[in-house]
Amino acid sequence: MQEASAVSIAKQKKKELDSSFFKKGIMVALFSSLMYGFYTAFVTAGQNSQLWTSWTSAINPAAFLAVFIIPTVASAINDSCSAIWALAITAKQGKLGDFGRTINTKPGIILMLSALVGGPIATVAYIIALSQAGTIVVPIAALNPAIGSILSRILYKQELGPRKIAGIAICVVAGLMIGTASLTGDSSSNMALGLALAFIAALGWGAEGCIAGYASCMIDTQIGITIRQCVSGVVELIVILPVLSLIGGVNLGQTFGYVGAAITDLPTILCFIVAGFSAYKSFASWYRGNSMCGTALGMACNGTYTFVAPLVTWIIVGLIMGVPGYALPPIAWVAAVVMILGILVIAVDPKELFGKKEEA
Amino acid sequence: MRPLNYAMLKYFTTVDEASVDDVMKDLSSDYSGYTAFKRDKMQEALMTAEKNGLISESRVDLDDNGDLRVFYSADAEQRDTINSYIK
Repeated sequence: MQEASAVSIAKQKKKELDSSFFKKGIMVALFSSLMYGFYTAFVTAGQNSQLWTSWTSAINPAAFLAVFIIPTVASAINDSCSAIWALAITAKQGKLGDFGRTINTKPGIILMLSALVGGPIATVAYIIALSQAGTIVVPIAALNPAIGSILSRILYKQELGPRKIAGIAICVVAGLMIGTASLTGDSSSNMALGLALAFIAALGWGAEGCIAGYASCMIDTQIGITIRQCVSGVVELIVILPVLSLIGGVNLGQTFGYVGAAITDLPTILCFIVAGFSAYKSFASWYRGNSMCGTALGMACNGTYTFVAPLVTWIIVGLIMGVPGYALPPIAWVAAVVMILGILVIAVDPKELFGKKEEA
Repeated sequence: MRPLNYAMLKYFTTVDEASVDDVMKDLSSDYSGYTAFKRDKMQEALMTAEKNGLISESRVDLDDNGDLRVFYSADAEQRDTINSYIK
Protein backbone atom coordinates (compact mmCIF):
# COMPACT_ATOMS: atom_id res chain seq x y z
CA MET A 1 0.00 0.00 0.00
CA GLN A 2 2.78 2.38 1.06
CA GLU A 3 4.75 1.38 -2.04
CA ALA A 4 1.75 2.13 -4.28
CA SER A 5 1.44 5.55 -2.65
CA ALA A 6 5.14 6.28 -3.25
CA VAL A 7 4.76 5.36 -6.93
CA SER A 8 1.75 7.65 -7.19
CA ILE A 9 3.62 10.56 -5.55
CA ALA A 10 6.63 9.97 -7.82
CA LYS A 11 4.41 10.07 -10.91
CA GLN A 12 2.73 13.25 -9.69
CA LYS A 13 6.11 14.90 -9.05
CA LYS A 14 7.28 13.83 -12.50
CA LYS A 15 4.21 15.47 -14.06
CA GLU A 16 5.01 18.66 -12.18
CA LEU A 17 8.64 18.49 -13.35
CA ASP A 18 7.55 17.97 -16.98
CA SER A 19 5.05 20.81 -16.74
CA SER A 20 7.63 23.17 -15.28
CA PHE A 21 10.15 22.17 -17.98
CA PHE A 22 7.56 22.68 -20.74
CA LYS A 23 6.46 26.12 -19.45
CA LYS A 24 10.08 27.20 -19.03
CA GLY A 25 10.76 26.15 -22.64
CA ILE A 26 7.88 28.28 -23.91
CA MET A 27 8.97 31.28 -21.83
CA VAL A 28 12.55 30.95 -23.12
CA ALA A 29 11.29 30.72 -26.73
CA LEU A 30 9.04 33.78 -26.29
CA PHE A 31 11.94 35.66 -24.68
CA SER A 32 13.95 34.98 -27.86
CA SER A 33 11.26 36.85 -29.79
CA LEU A 34 11.43 39.88 -27.48
CA MET A 35 15.24 39.98 -27.71
CA TYR A 36 14.99 39.68 -31.48
CA GLY A 37 12.88 42.84 -31.38
CA PHE A 38 15.59 44.70 -29.46
CA TYR A 39 18.27 43.33 -31.80
CA THR A 40 16.36 44.60 -34.85
CA ALA A 41 15.62 47.95 -33.23
CA PHE A 42 19.19 48.71 -32.15
CA VAL A 43 20.77 47.55 -35.43
CA THR A 44 18.38 49.95 -37.14
CA ALA A 45 19.17 52.66 -34.59
CA GLY A 46 22.90 52.22 -35.22
CA GLN A 47 22.27 52.73 -38.93
CA ASN A 48 20.42 55.96 -38.14
CA SER A 49 23.23 57.52 -36.07
CA GLN A 50 24.63 60.87 -37.17
CA LEU A 51 27.81 59.17 -38.40
CA TRP A 52 25.93 56.54 -40.37
CA THR A 53 23.53 58.98 -42.02
CA SER A 54 26.49 61.18 -42.96
CA TRP A 55 27.80 58.21 -44.99
CA THR A 56 24.51 57.18 -46.55
CA SER A 57 23.47 60.73 -47.46
CA ALA A 58 26.78 61.31 -49.28
CA ILE A 59 26.52 58.34 -51.63
CA ASN A 60 24.06 57.20 -54.28
CA PRO A 61 21.51 54.92 -52.52
CA ALA A 62 21.67 52.50 -55.45
CA ALA A 63 25.49 52.27 -55.43
CA PHE A 64 27.17 48.97 -54.47
CA LEU A 65 28.71 50.68 -51.46
CA ALA A 66 25.30 51.72 -50.12
CA VAL A 67 23.49 48.49 -50.94
CA PHE A 68 26.07 45.90 -49.86
CA ILE A 69 29.14 47.26 -48.08
CA ILE A 70 27.71 49.64 -45.47
CA PRO A 71 24.86 47.35 -44.30
CA THR A 72 27.37 44.46 -44.10
CA VAL A 73 29.64 46.63 -41.96
CA ALA A 74 26.63 46.96 -39.61
CA SER A 75 26.09 43.20 -39.59
CA ALA A 76 29.79 42.43 -39.03
CA ILE A 77 30.05 44.88 -36.14
CA ASN A 78 26.82 43.60 -34.61
CA ASP A 79 27.83 39.94 -34.79
CA SER A 80 31.35 40.71 -33.54
CA CYS A 81 29.88 42.56 -30.55
CA SER A 82 27.56 39.61 -30.04
CA ALA A 83 30.50 37.16 -30.18
CA ILE A 84 32.38 39.21 -27.55
CA TRP A 85 29.31 39.16 -25.28
CA ALA A 86 28.96 35.39 -25.79
CA LEU A 87 32.66 34.74 -25.10
CA ALA A 88 32.62 36.94 -21.99
CA ILE A 89 29.55 35.20 -20.57
CA THR A 90 30.98 31.76 -21.45
CA ALA A 91 34.16 32.74 -19.57
CA LYS A 92 32.12 34.01 -16.59
CA GLN A 93 30.26 30.69 -16.49
CA GLY A 94 33.56 28.80 -16.53
CA LYS A 95 32.78 27.11 -19.86
CA LEU A 96 35.69 28.35 -22.00
CA GLY A 97 37.46 25.01 -21.62
CA ASP A 98 34.40 23.10 -22.85
CA PHE A 99 34.02 25.66 -25.66
CA GLY A 100 37.54 24.80 -26.88
CA ARG A 101 36.96 21.07 -26.51
CA THR A 102 33.63 21.20 -28.37
CA ILE A 103 34.87 23.01 -31.50
CA ASN A 104 36.86 20.03 -32.80
CA THR A 105 34.08 17.46 -32.41
CA LYS A 106 31.48 16.25 -34.92
CA PRO A 107 28.53 18.13 -33.33
CA GLY A 108 30.78 21.20 -33.01
CA ILE A 109 31.72 21.11 -36.70
CA ILE A 110 28.07 20.61 -37.72
CA LEU A 111 27.14 23.59 -35.57
CA MET A 112 29.89 25.71 -37.17
CA LEU A 113 28.67 24.80 -40.68
CA SER A 114 25.09 25.66 -39.82
CA ALA A 115 26.34 28.86 -38.17
CA LEU A 116 27.98 29.80 -41.47
CA VAL A 117 24.66 29.45 -43.25
CA GLY A 118 22.52 31.03 -40.54
CA GLY A 119 25.11 33.57 -39.45
CA PRO A 120 27.08 35.38 -42.16
CA ILE A 121 24.84 34.51 -45.10
CA ALA A 122 21.42 34.97 -43.50
CA THR A 123 22.38 37.81 -41.16
CA VAL A 124 24.08 39.88 -43.86
CA ALA A 125 21.11 39.31 -46.14
CA TYR A 126 18.75 40.37 -43.35
CA ILE A 127 20.69 43.51 -42.46
CA ILE A 128 20.91 44.59 -46.12
CA ALA A 129 17.20 43.81 -46.50
CA LEU A 130 16.37 45.95 -43.45
CA SER A 131 18.41 48.84 -44.80
CA GLN A 132 16.83 48.60 -48.24
CA ALA A 133 13.19 47.95 -47.43
CA GLY A 134 12.78 48.70 -43.71
CA THR A 135 11.06 46.51 -41.13
CA ILE A 136 8.52 45.33 -43.70
CA VAL A 137 11.07 42.60 -44.45
CA VAL A 138 10.74 41.17 -40.93
CA PRO A 139 7.66 39.02 -41.63
CA ILE A 140 9.33 37.68 -44.81
CA ALA A 141 12.38 36.65 -42.80
CA ALA A 142 9.94 35.06 -40.35
CA LEU A 143 9.10 32.46 -43.00
CA ASN A 144 12.09 30.50 -41.67
CA PRO A 145 10.00 27.94 -39.72
CA ALA A 146 8.12 27.14 -42.94
CA ILE A 147 11.38 26.77 -44.83
CA GLY A 148 12.80 24.70 -41.98
CA SER A 149 9.87 22.29 -42.33
CA ILE A 150 10.45 21.91 -46.08
CA LEU A 151 14.21 21.43 -45.63
CA SER A 152 13.57 18.86 -42.90
CA ARG A 153 11.39 16.97 -45.34
CA ILE A 154 14.11 17.03 -48.02
CA LEU A 155 17.17 16.43 -45.81
CA TYR A 156 15.77 14.26 -43.03
CA LYS A 157 12.64 12.81 -44.64
CA GLN A 158 10.50 14.34 -41.92
CA GLU A 159 6.72 14.28 -42.24
CA LEU A 160 5.15 17.09 -44.33
CA GLY A 161 1.44 16.36 -44.21
CA PRO A 162 -1.64 18.37 -45.23
CA ARG A 163 -1.55 20.52 -42.05
CA LYS A 164 1.98 21.75 -42.75
CA ILE A 165 1.31 22.26 -46.46
CA ALA A 166 -1.79 24.32 -45.54
CA GLY A 167 0.33 26.41 -43.18
CA ILE A 168 2.92 27.04 -45.89
CA ALA A 169 0.13 28.16 -48.26
CA ILE A 170 -1.12 30.62 -45.60
CA CYS A 171 2.42 32.03 -45.28
CA VAL A 172 2.73 32.44 -49.05
CA VAL A 173 -0.58 34.34 -49.13
CA ALA A 174 0.68 36.57 -46.29
CA GLY A 175 3.89 37.20 -48.26
CA LEU A 176 1.82 38.27 -51.26
CA MET A 177 -0.17 40.63 -49.02
CA ILE A 178 3.08 42.24 -47.88
CA GLY A 179 4.21 42.42 -51.50
CA THR A 180 1.22 44.61 -52.30
CA ALA A 181 2.62 47.27 -49.95
CA SER A 182 5.57 47.67 -52.33
CA LEU A 183 3.12 48.81 -55.01
CA THR A 184 2.31 52.01 -53.12
CA GLY A 185 4.09 55.29 -53.85
CA ASP A 186 5.67 55.29 -50.39
CA SER A 187 7.70 52.14 -50.95
CA SER A 188 11.47 52.13 -51.25
CA SER A 189 12.98 51.86 -54.71
CA ASN A 190 14.90 48.83 -53.44
CA MET A 191 11.86 47.06 -52.00
CA ALA A 192 12.17 44.08 -54.36
CA LEU A 193 15.86 43.55 -53.47
CA GLY A 194 15.06 43.90 -49.77
CA LEU A 195 12.27 41.32 -49.93
CA ALA A 196 14.44 38.91 -51.96
CA LEU A 197 17.29 39.20 -49.45
CA ALA A 198 14.86 38.72 -46.57
CA PHE A 199 13.81 35.46 -48.21
CA ILE A 200 17.47 34.39 -48.40
CA ALA A 201 17.73 35.17 -44.68
CA ALA A 202 14.66 33.01 -44.03
CA LEU A 203 16.25 30.22 -46.09
CA GLY A 204 19.49 30.47 -44.09
CA TRP A 205 17.79 30.49 -40.71
CA GLY A 206 15.47 27.66 -41.76
CA ALA A 207 18.53 25.62 -42.74
CA GLU A 208 20.26 26.57 -39.50
CA GLY A 209 17.27 25.52 -37.40
CA CYS A 210 17.10 22.25 -39.32
CA ILE A 211 20.82 21.37 -39.27
CA ALA A 212 21.84 22.80 -35.90
CA GLY A 213 18.85 21.37 -34.09
CA TYR A 214 20.34 17.93 -33.75
CA ALA A 215 23.82 19.16 -32.90
CA SER A 216 22.60 21.61 -30.28
CA CYS A 217 20.78 18.97 -28.27
CA MET A 218 24.22 17.51 -27.51
CA ILE A 219 26.04 20.77 -26.94
CA ASP A 220 25.49 23.11 -23.97
CA THR A 221 23.40 26.03 -25.29
CA GLN A 222 25.85 28.68 -24.05
CA ILE A 223 28.71 26.92 -25.84
CA GLY A 224 26.58 26.43 -28.96
CA ILE A 225 25.66 30.09 -29.20
CA THR A 226 29.25 31.16 -28.57
CA ILE A 227 30.35 28.99 -31.50
CA ARG A 228 27.61 30.49 -33.67
CA GLN A 229 28.33 34.13 -32.88
CA CYS A 230 32.13 33.73 -33.14
CA VAL A 231 31.87 32.00 -36.54
CA SER A 232 29.42 34.62 -37.74
CA GLY A 233 31.38 37.67 -36.50
CA VAL A 234 34.79 36.47 -37.68
CA VAL A 235 33.62 35.30 -41.12
CA GLU A 236 31.69 38.49 -41.78
CA LEU A 237 34.66 40.65 -40.80
CA ILE A 238 37.50 38.79 -42.50
CA VAL A 239 35.76 36.99 -45.37
CA ILE A 240 32.43 38.52 -46.39
CA LEU A 241 33.47 42.18 -46.16
CA PRO A 242 36.71 41.75 -48.19
CA VAL A 243 34.94 39.54 -50.77
CA LEU A 244 32.12 42.05 -51.22
CA SER A 245 34.69 44.86 -51.51
CA LEU A 246 36.56 42.97 -54.23
CA ILE A 247 33.35 42.20 -56.11
CA GLY A 248 32.17 45.80 -55.95
CA GLY A 249 35.58 47.32 -56.69
CA VAL A 250 35.60 49.08 -53.32
CA ASN A 251 38.98 49.80 -51.73
CA LEU A 252 39.59 47.58 -48.68
CA GLY A 253 40.98 50.56 -46.78
CA GLN A 254 37.75 52.41 -47.40
CA THR A 255 35.64 49.42 -46.25
CA PHE A 256 37.57 48.92 -43.02
CA GLY A 257 37.68 52.69 -42.60
CA TYR A 258 33.91 52.50 -42.09
CA VAL A 259 34.40 49.70 -39.53
CA GLY A 260 37.01 51.73 -37.66
CA ALA A 261 34.91 54.89 -37.72
CA ALA A 262 31.81 53.06 -36.49
CA ILE A 263 33.51 51.34 -33.54
CA THR A 264 35.15 54.59 -32.41
CA ASP A 265 31.95 56.66 -32.62
CA LEU A 266 30.32 56.36 -29.19
CA PRO A 267 26.62 56.79 -30.13
CA THR A 268 27.00 54.27 -32.99
CA ILE A 269 28.96 51.62 -31.11
CA LEU A 270 26.63 51.87 -28.10
CA CYS A 271 23.74 50.91 -30.38
CA PHE A 272 25.71 47.93 -31.70
CA ILE A 273 26.77 46.85 -28.21
CA VAL A 274 23.10 46.70 -27.17
CA ALA A 275 22.12 45.10 -30.50
CA GLY A 276 24.91 42.51 -30.13
CA PHE A 277 23.79 41.59 -26.63
CA SER A 278 20.17 41.34 -27.78
CA ALA A 279 21.20 39.12 -30.72
CA TYR A 280 23.21 36.89 -28.39
CA LYS A 281 20.25 36.51 -25.99
CA SER A 282 17.79 36.03 -28.85
CA PHE A 283 19.70 33.27 -30.64
CA ALA A 284 20.71 31.57 -27.37
CA SER A 285 17.07 31.51 -26.28
CA TRP A 286 16.03 30.29 -29.73
CA TYR A 287 18.39 27.28 -29.50
CA ARG A 288 17.45 26.60 -25.88
CA GLY A 289 13.69 27.04 -26.38
CA ASN A 290 13.71 24.76 -29.42
CA SER A 291 15.56 22.03 -27.58
CA MET A 292 13.37 22.32 -24.46
CA CYS A 293 9.85 22.38 -25.91
CA GLY A 294 10.52 20.91 -29.34
CA THR A 295 11.65 22.70 -32.50
CA ALA A 296 8.11 23.10 -33.85
CA LEU A 297 6.68 24.89 -30.84
CA GLY A 298 9.95 26.69 -30.15
CA MET A 299 10.08 28.14 -33.65
CA ALA A 300 6.39 29.05 -33.51
CA CYS A 301 6.94 31.01 -30.28
CA ASN A 302 10.06 32.64 -31.71
CA GLY A 303 8.04 33.51 -34.83
CA THR A 304 6.03 36.03 -32.81
CA TYR A 305 8.87 38.45 -33.50
CA THR A 306 6.93 39.36 -36.65
CA PHE A 307 4.91 41.55 -34.28
CA VAL A 308 7.62 42.30 -31.76
CA ALA A 309 10.46 43.40 -34.06
CA PRO A 310 8.58 46.09 -36.02
CA LEU A 311 6.87 47.21 -32.82
CA VAL A 312 10.11 47.61 -30.83
CA THR A 313 11.82 49.25 -33.83
CA TRP A 314 8.95 51.70 -34.24
CA ILE A 315 9.04 52.55 -30.51
CA ILE A 316 12.84 52.95 -30.28
CA VAL A 317 13.75 54.33 -33.71
CA GLY A 318 10.46 55.94 -34.71
CA LEU A 319 9.09 57.34 -31.45
CA ILE A 320 12.17 57.75 -29.21
CA MET A 321 14.74 58.70 -31.89
CA GLY A 322 12.16 60.54 -33.99
CA VAL A 323 13.19 58.93 -37.29
CA PRO A 324 10.17 58.90 -39.66
CA GLY A 325 9.10 55.94 -41.80
CA TYR A 326 9.08 53.07 -39.30
CA ALA A 327 5.32 52.76 -38.81
CA LEU A 328 4.20 49.76 -40.84
CA PRO A 329 1.29 50.13 -43.28
CA PRO A 330 -1.90 48.48 -41.96
CA ILE A 331 -1.81 45.67 -44.54
CA ALA A 332 1.62 44.60 -43.26
CA TRP A 333 0.20 44.21 -39.77
CA VAL A 334 -2.70 42.17 -41.11
CA ALA A 335 -0.27 40.08 -43.17
CA ALA A 336 1.94 39.55 -40.12
CA VAL A 337 -1.07 38.16 -38.23
CA VAL A 338 -1.92 35.87 -41.14
CA MET A 339 1.72 34.76 -41.37
CA ILE A 340 1.86 33.96 -37.66
CA LEU A 341 -1.30 31.89 -38.12
CA GLY A 342 0.42 30.05 -40.98
CA ILE A 343 3.55 29.50 -38.90
CA LEU A 344 1.49 28.12 -36.04
CA VAL A 345 -0.39 25.78 -38.37
CA ILE A 346 2.93 24.50 -39.74
CA ALA A 347 4.78 24.28 -36.47
CA VAL A 348 2.29 23.10 -33.88
CA ASP A 349 0.68 19.70 -33.91
CA PRO A 350 -2.69 20.18 -32.11
CA LYS A 351 -2.46 16.66 -30.67
CA GLU A 352 0.98 17.33 -29.19
CA LEU A 353 0.01 20.79 -27.87
CA PHE A 354 -3.23 19.67 -26.24
CA GLY A 355 -1.55 16.54 -24.95
CA LYS A 356 1.01 18.72 -23.17
CA LYS A 357 -1.72 20.96 -21.78
CA GLU A 358 -3.49 17.96 -20.34
CA GLU A 359 -0.30 16.82 -18.69
CA ALA A 360 0.24 20.31 -17.28
CA MET B 1 38.56 15.26 -21.20
CA ARG B 2 35.13 15.64 -22.84
CA PRO B 3 32.77 18.61 -22.45
CA LEU B 4 30.34 17.98 -19.56
CA ASN B 5 27.27 17.47 -21.77
CA TYR B 6 29.16 14.94 -23.91
CA ALA B 7 30.34 13.07 -20.79
CA MET B 8 26.76 12.92 -19.49
CA LEU B 9 25.47 11.40 -22.73
CA LYS B 10 28.43 9.06 -23.08
CA TYR B 11 27.76 7.72 -19.57
CA PHE B 12 24.44 6.31 -20.80
CA THR B 13 26.30 4.13 -23.30
CA THR B 14 27.99 2.35 -20.39
CA VAL B 15 25.08 1.68 -17.97
CA ASP B 16 21.64 0.07 -18.17
CA GLU B 17 19.93 3.05 -16.60
CA ALA B 18 20.84 6.05 -14.46
CA SER B 19 19.32 9.03 -12.67
CA VAL B 20 20.91 12.48 -12.53
CA ASP B 21 22.35 11.55 -9.12
CA ASP B 22 24.09 8.49 -10.64
CA VAL B 23 25.50 10.67 -13.42
CA MET B 24 26.75 13.26 -10.92
CA LYS B 25 28.32 10.59 -8.74
CA ASP B 26 30.18 9.08 -11.69
CA LEU B 27 31.39 12.40 -13.09
CA SER B 28 32.09 14.25 -9.85
CA SER B 29 35.82 13.50 -9.80
CA ASP B 30 36.38 15.30 -13.12
CA TYR B 31 33.56 17.83 -13.30
CA SER B 32 32.53 18.85 -9.76
CA GLY B 33 34.32 22.19 -10.19
CA TYR B 34 32.16 23.14 -13.19
CA THR B 35 29.52 25.84 -12.68
CA ALA B 36 27.12 23.72 -14.72
CA PHE B 37 27.70 20.73 -12.38
CA LYS B 38 24.46 21.36 -10.49
CA ARG B 39 21.60 18.94 -10.04
CA ASP B 40 18.87 21.14 -11.56
CA LYS B 41 20.99 22.13 -14.57
CA MET B 42 22.07 18.55 -15.22
CA GLN B 43 18.49 17.31 -14.79
CA GLU B 44 17.42 19.89 -17.39
CA ALA B 45 20.19 18.69 -19.74
CA LEU B 46 18.97 15.09 -19.37
CA MET B 47 15.36 16.16 -20.03
CA THR B 48 16.54 18.02 -23.14
CA ALA B 49 18.42 14.93 -24.35
CA GLU B 50 15.30 12.84 -23.70
CA LYS B 51 13.12 15.38 -25.54
CA ASN B 52 15.41 15.05 -28.56
CA GLY B 53 15.44 11.26 -28.50
CA LEU B 54 19.04 10.67 -27.44
CA ILE B 55 17.95 8.85 -24.26
CA SER B 56 14.61 7.54 -22.96
CA GLU B 57 12.92 7.73 -19.59
CA SER B 58 12.89 4.25 -18.04
CA ARG B 59 11.16 4.79 -14.65
CA VAL B 60 10.58 7.16 -11.75
CA ASP B 61 10.68 6.70 -7.96
CA LEU B 62 11.37 8.60 -4.72
CA ASP B 63 14.69 8.57 -2.87
CA ASP B 64 15.02 8.21 0.94
CA ASN B 65 14.31 11.92 1.37
CA GLY B 66 11.14 11.72 -0.71
CA ASP B 67 12.74 13.55 -3.64
CA LEU B 68 11.90 12.51 -7.20
CA ARG B 69 14.37 10.36 -9.12
CA VAL B 70 13.95 10.01 -12.87
CA PHE B 71 15.87 7.18 -14.49
CA TYR B 72 16.95 7.27 -18.12
CA SER B 73 18.43 4.66 -20.44
CA ALA B 74 19.81 4.45 -23.98
CA ASP B 75 18.81 1.56 -26.24
CA ALA B 76 21.12 0.12 -28.90
CA GLU B 77 20.08 2.65 -31.55
CA GLN B 78 20.45 5.57 -29.16
CA ARG B 79 23.88 4.30 -28.08
CA ASP B 80 24.94 4.06 -31.72
CA THR B 81 23.76 7.62 -32.30
CA ILE B 82 25.58 8.94 -29.24
CA ASN B 83 28.75 7.02 -30.17
CA SER B 84 28.63 8.24 -33.77
CA TYR B 85 28.64 11.87 -32.65
CA ILE B 86 30.73 11.68 -29.50
CA LYS B 87 34.04 9.81 -29.62
